[in-house]
Amino acid sequence: MIEGILGNINKERCLQFIIARNDGYAREISEFYETSLSPIQNQLDNLEKNSILYSESKGRTIIYKLNPRYPFLKELSALIEKTLTFLPDEIYEKLVNNRRRPRRKGKVL
Amino acid sequence: MTNLTYQELAALVCTHLDKNDFRCVLSGGGCVSVYTHNKYQSNDLDFIELYSNNTTDFKKIMSEIGFTFENGYFKSEKFKFIVEFPKGPLSIGSEPINNYETLDFSTGKLFLLSVTDCIKDRLAAYYFWNDNQSLIQALMVAKSNEVDLKEIERWSKVEGKLEEFMRIEKLFDEINNETDTE
Repeated sequence: MIEGILGNINKERCLQFIIARNDGYAREISEFYETSLSPIQNQLDNLEKNSILYSESKGRTIIYKLNPRYPFLKELSALIEKTLTFLPDEIYEKLVNNRRRPRRKGKVL
Repeated sequence: MTNLTYQELAALVCTHLDKNDFRCVLSGGGCVSVYTHNKYQSNDLDFIELYSNNTTDFKKIMSEIGFTFENGYFKSEKFKFIVEFPKGPLSIGSEPINNYETLDFSTGKLFLLSVTDCIKDRLAAYYFWNDNQSLIQALMVAKSNEVDLKEIERWSKVEGKLEEFMRIEKLFDEINNETDTE
């Protein structure tokens, strides 16, 4: 959608995913958009180097979040949030309303 | 290894960059070291290039004063401190920094955040990362320097952190009182 501004579709995907869900890791982002892992990893790395994202290790997974100290955070978030409203309903629901709260281990679904 | 102090090395690097038309400003914990006269000692020098276009070839310029690039930072066998260039723009929270300080050392001029901006920078880390060490550093700077608390309050409000500021304001007041009675 705003690939023309960001210069890269995977950069847009990373930001869209992280802004919609507050955080994300490379594999879940690539699986969500059904794209290769490596370009997503490269974009997450690039966004972190430019202080737009920061990362935290959780076990063996690197979780990326928006850097609250990034000076254009509010404006960038507004732009990406607008792209979310252009998504087809089905994809929007899948992206935004996925289950993030914990589920007890062994619970019968 | 040379015996340059943190401040002298910072000024050496800063002046060398400036001679090459790259105006860089010391930020982060390095400013705390300078303003506390090394009561807090940072191990690295974080320089942010003003009006960065992200194309500056720091590797070439830094090599002229003996630094090599390794794992994202610059180091030298001659100096014990490492140098990094975090991506700009020079800002604290959502606000740009348009004015900075200049200090003179035997090795050159050092451009750095003002005392008040240095405290805001540390408080940003405290507000956004819950980093208590950064709050301690902010208080250390306030203890040895004159601080514009009204400006810090204004900025905290802009960042949506007025409540947090109100909670810690008394710590700055206590420091001011201690300094007055010394």
